Amino acid sequence: MHSIKFRRVAQSAALALVLGVAACGGGGGSDSGGSLPGGTGTSPPPPPPPPPPPPAPSSTAFSTEESTALFLTQATFGPTQEDITQLTGTAPSDWILAEFGKAPSLNLNYVLTEITEDGARDDDGQLSFEKRQTPTFSFWINAIEGDDQLRQRMAFALSQILVISHAEGNFLFEVPNTVAHYQDILVSNAFGNYRDLLEDVTYSPAMGEYLTYLQNVKGDPDIGRMPDENYAREVMQLFSIGLVDLNMDGSSITQNGAPLESYSNADVTGLARVFTGLSLSGGEFFFDFRTLPDDALHTPMQAYPEWHSELEKTFLGTTIPPGTGPEESIDIALDTLVDHPNTPPFLARQLIQRFVTSNPEPDYIERVATAFADGQYQLPNGSNVGDGRRGDLSATIAAVLFDPDARDAANRDEDSFGKIREPVLRFIQWARAFDAGTVTPEHTFPLWNTSFGGGLSQAPYKSPSVFNFYRPGYVAPGTETGAAGLTIPELQLVNANSISNYANFMTYFTFAFAANGSGEPSTTSFIPDYSDELALAEDPEALVDHLDLLLTFGSTSDETKATIVTFLNDIALENPSDPDYNGPFLRVGLGVLMMMTSPDYVVQR
Amino acid sequence: MKQTRRTFLTGASALSAATLTGIGSSLSAFQASAAETSGYKAIVCLFFLGGLDGHDTVLPYDQASYDRYAEIRAPLLGLYDNMQGGSTRARDRLLPLSPSNAANFGGRQFALPEELSGIKGLFDDGNAAIVGNVGPLIQPITKTQFENDSAPQPKRLFSHNDQQSTWMSSEPEGAQFGWGGRFADAVLAAGANSGAQDFSTITSLGNELFLTGSEASPYQIGLDGAPEIDALNFFAGGENQSDPNSIYQKLRDHFEAMDFNSSNLIDRDIANAMRTALTTNETFNQAFESIQPFSTAFPQNFLGQQLQAVANTIAIRDALLVNRQVFFVAIGGFDTHSNQANDLPALQQEIDGGVVAFYQAMQEIGLGSDVTLFTASDFGRTLAINGDGTDHGWGSHHFVIGEAVQGGQIFGDIPPYDLGHDQDAGSGRLIPTTSVEQFAEPLGRWFGLTDAEIAAALPNLSNFASGPAFV
Repeated sequence: MHSIKFRRVAQSAALALVLGVAACGGGGGSDSGGSLPGGTGTSPPPPPPPPPPPPAPSSTAFSTEESTALFLTQATFGPTQEDITQLTGTAPSDWILAEFGKAPSLNLNYVLTEITEDGARDDDGQLSFEKRQTPTFSFWINAIEGDDQLRQRMAFALSQILVISHAEGNFLFEVPNTVAHYQDILVSNAFGNYRDLLEDVTYSPAMGEYLTYLQNVKGDPDIGRMPDENYAREVMQLFSIGLVDLNMDGSSITQNGAPLESYSNADVTGLARVFTGLSLSGGEFFFDFRTLPDDALHTPMQAYPEWHSELEKTFLGTTIPPGTGPEESIDIALDTLVDHPNTPPFLARQLIQRFVTSNPEPDYIERVATAFADGQYQLPNGSNVGDGRRGDLSATIAAVLFDPDARDAANRDEDSFGKIREPVLRFIQWARAFDAGTVTPEHTFPLWNTSFGGGLSQAPYKSPSVFNFYRPGYVAPGTETGAAGLTIPELQLVNANSISNYANFMTYFTFAFAANGSGEPSTTSFIPDYSDELALAEDPEALVDHLDLLLTFGSTSDETKATIVTFLNDIALENPSDPDYNGPFLRVGLGVLMMMTSPDYVVQR
Repeated sequence: MKQTRRTFLTGASALSAATLTGIGSSLSAFQASAAETSGYKAIVCLFFLGGLDGHDTVLPYDQASYDRYAEIRAPLLGLYDNMQGGSTRARDRLLPLSPSNAANFGGRQFALPEELSGIKGLFDDGNAAIVGNVGPLIQPITKTQFENDSAPQPKRLFSHNDQQSTWMSSEPEGAQFGWGGRFADAVLAAGANSGAQDFSTITSLGNELFLTGSEASPYQIGLDGAPEIDALNFFAGGENQSDPNSIYQKLRDHFEAMDFNSSNLIDRDIANAMRTALTTNETFNQAFESIQPFSTAFPQNFLGQQLQAVANTIAIRDALLVNRQVFFVAIGGFDTHSNQANDLPALQQEIDGGVVAFYQAMQEIGLGSDVTLFTASDFGRTLAINGDGTDHGWGSHHFVIGEAVQGGQIFGDIPPYDLGHDQDAGSGRLIPTTSVEQFAEPLGRWFGLTDAEIAAALPNLSNFASGPAFV
C-alpha cells in the first residue's frame, strides 16, 4: 500500500518537473520553512531546520484547454467554453477546494413551493401528474445551472449506489417532498462522511418506504412473525460491503478458488432486527396521515422503541446485546458496516466507474479505497483534504479525480480504459455546453416522459429497481469487452432500440424542435444558444474543432472529424429557392448531433 | 418529437407528424417466407421481478391445510380481510383446482385466488399446468445437507439479482449466457430462422441475460415497430439516395459508424452496436408493415402491452423469416416485503389478463399449440409473515401455458403449508424439489433440441432424474 502511494506522488512530481508547473494556491506550504526578517540582533538560537517539504506534486489537469475540458467532463455535468477558458492555466487544487466550499443547491424548498401552489392538487387532494414530477425538475435545474457542479455530480453518482426510485408506479412518486428530502441528503453529504450519509439515508422516509422498513415491526416468535429483511439485506449487498470479501484493491478473497461470501442469511435475519421500530416522525408508529405533522414526510424517521426488537442482534461478527434500543442498535450496525474492510474498495470501485472508467486497475481502486479508509487525500498543491475520519467523501472524490489513472494520457490510452457516458450526462452536457437558455423542465415533456421505449433509457432517481440502471459488475455478453472480461455497466443500456431513441431524443433538442416563435413557455424551454457555433458555420473544420474541444475534450479521432467536416461541407449555406432555408443552423445542428452520436463521444476516455 | 423534412431544414417549427419513409435498399434480398405454421415454435418467458409469493398464488384448499396456513399467515390474512370488497383469500372465495393427477397429493387440495380466474379456466380446460416448488439447484439437496452446507447449493441464495441470473443462466450475476439464448443457438445451428440470429430472441425490455447465447442476442421490441433514426429519415427519399456520395448515404454511414476505427474495446463495442442497430430496426419495420391487428383485446397495462408486442412479432414471423423464437417479458413489483395484501392481487390480475389475452391471440392466429408460455421469478417467499409482507425465499410454484401443455395437472411437489417440514429452509423458504433446469428441459425438448444441446444449455441437468414432462 505504501509503495503505491509513494509511486503516485513520485509520478506526479516527475510530471511537475517535466512541465515546469509549480504547486500553487491552497496554502500549500507558504507558512512553513523560511524565516521572516526580524530586525533584532537578539534572536534566539535558530531552530533546527524544518524537514524538507514533501516534493510538490502537481497536476496537468488544467494545463491545456483539452486537459481542462477532460477534467471538467469527469468532474462536472460538462464544461462550458467559459469554464475551459477561465480555468486553463489555473490550479486544479484550487478548483476542487472551491467546489468543496460551495453552498449546496438543494431541492426540497423548490418542491415544497411547487406542490403547495394553488391548483397543485385536484379536489380529492391528489397532486397533479406534473407536480409529482417536481423532484425530477429540480434535479435537472440544479444539475444544469447549479454552481456547485462537483457536489451535484457526486450526489448523482451516490444516487446510483444508494438507490431510491420515484419512477411512476412507486409509492414515492406520490410524495415528491419525500424524494426531494432524500435528494438533499445526498447533495448535503456529498463531501461529508459516508457513515453520516448512511445514517441520514437509513432514517430517511424515502429509503424507509422504498426498502419497506418504515413501520417494520419487531418479530413475534409466538406467531412466527419475523422482521422485514429488505433493508438489512440491501444495505449490506448494495450500500456497504457487497456480496464477497474484498481486498483493498477490489479483488475478491477466495478460498479453494471460490470467492468468500461476506455474509450469510443468518446475518441478514440478525441485522433485520436492527431496522425495526422506525416510522414517520411526530405521530404514532402506526400513524394516521391526517394527524401527522405537515413535515413528517420530509423529516428523518423517528424510532419507536416499543416496536423495536429487544432480542440479541448478531451479524457480521458483531453482537448487540438484548434490550438495546433502536438508535443505539442502528449506530452499532452502521459502524460495523462502514468499518468493514470491504466498504472502502466496494465504494471506491463504483465511484471510479461513475466518474472516470468502467474497469479501474486494482491499484487505482486501492488508492481511492485508501483515501476513503484514511479519510484523507493530498491534493496536487500539497494540501490535504479530509478530516482523517474513515469514510471522508471529499478525500475519496479527490482521489478519484486526481489519480494518475484518471489524468495521465498513457493510462487513458489503454484499450480497456474509459466508460460509456451515461445518457443523462450526455443530455446535461449538451444543455450546459450550448447554454440551453430557459431551463424549465416542467415545459419540456420529453424530459419527464419516462414511458417505456423512449427517451434516454435513464432518468434521475427513477431506476427500475434498487439495483440501478446497470450493475457495477455487468459484463456484456457477445461483445469484445465481454470476451475480455471487462465490466462495462452502461453497456447494459445499449441496444438497437436505445441507440435510435437516444439519437432521436438529441435530435429534438439539438434542432430546437420545440421552438416555433409563438412565445409559449414550451417553445422557449431548452432552446440552445448556438451563437458561437453559428459564427463558425461557414468553416466546418473550425466548427468541428470547436465542438471537439467542448464535447470531447479534443479526443475525437481525425477520421470522425473528417467525416463530419465533409458532410457539413455538403450542406449548402443558402438555398435561393427557399427563403426559409437556414443553412448555417442546419450545419450547426447536424454537427452537434453527429458529434454527440459518434462513438468518440459516447465513450468517454 | 417527429418532424417533417421541411421543419428540419428550416431549423425550428411546430411539432408535426413525420412520414417515416421505408428504406428499401438493404432489404431486397429478403422475400416472404413460405414456412408452415406447423414449423413454427416459440417459447415465452414471463418473469415476475422481485420474487413472486408462490404461497399466495397457489393456496391450500383442503380444510386442514388451509387452517394451518391461515394460522401462520394470520397477520397477512387479517390485512386481506380489511381490503375493499373483502378478502380474496377467504377459503370460500378461492377457486379450487381439480387436477387430473389429484391422487398424487392424497387428500391435499389446492386453489388459485380469484384474480387468476382466467388461468384457472385454462387449467380446467387442460391448457395450463402448475409445476410446484421449482427453484435453482445444483443437485438434489436435503434439508440436512442445506443446513450443514454439505452439498453443493446455488450461490447467493435469496439475493434478487443473483437469483434472477441463476434462474436464467444457472449462475449468479456476471453470467454470460441464458438458457433461452442457448436454446436459440441450438436451433440456429440447425438452420432455423434462415440462419440469421437477428430476431431469434426477442424482448420488450433490455439486454436480457436469459436471451443471450453465443449467437443469439436479444432484440428489443415495442408496440409500434422499431424506432428508426429521425434525422436520417429526413434526408431519405431523394433521387440519388443510393448514391454512396449522397447526403443520405453519408449520414447513414455516420449513424452506422462505418468510418470509425479504434483499438479501444469499449469504442469497438459501441461502434459494433451502431453498425447493426439501424438495419435491424429497418428490417423489423418492413416486416411490421404486414401486421394484421388482432381482434383479441390486450389489457392496457404494462404486461398486456408487452405481450401484445410479442403477439405482433409472432404474427409477422413469416416476414421476419423466423420459425423458432424465444421471448422474454417481465413485470416488477413482486418484492412484497410490505403491503402484500394491497399490491399482490392487482399484480395477479395484471398477469391473468395479459396471459389469457396472449393465449387467445395465439389461438386467433392458429398457433395455440406452437407457442408455450412459462412463468419464472427470482424466488418464492417465506411462509412466515413480517407484519404486512413476506421475505425472500427459494422454491416457488410456476405455470406453463399453451395448447401443447399437458394441462390440468400439478407437476412436481407442493410442500406442506407449514413450518419445519423437510423442504423448509427456515421460515417457510422452500428448498426446491424440481430444479429450474428440470423445469427447462421439457421446454427445450419441445423446442426441438437434442439431448446434447439440452445438456449444453443446462449444465447441471445430469445431476437430476428426469423432470416434469409437462409439454
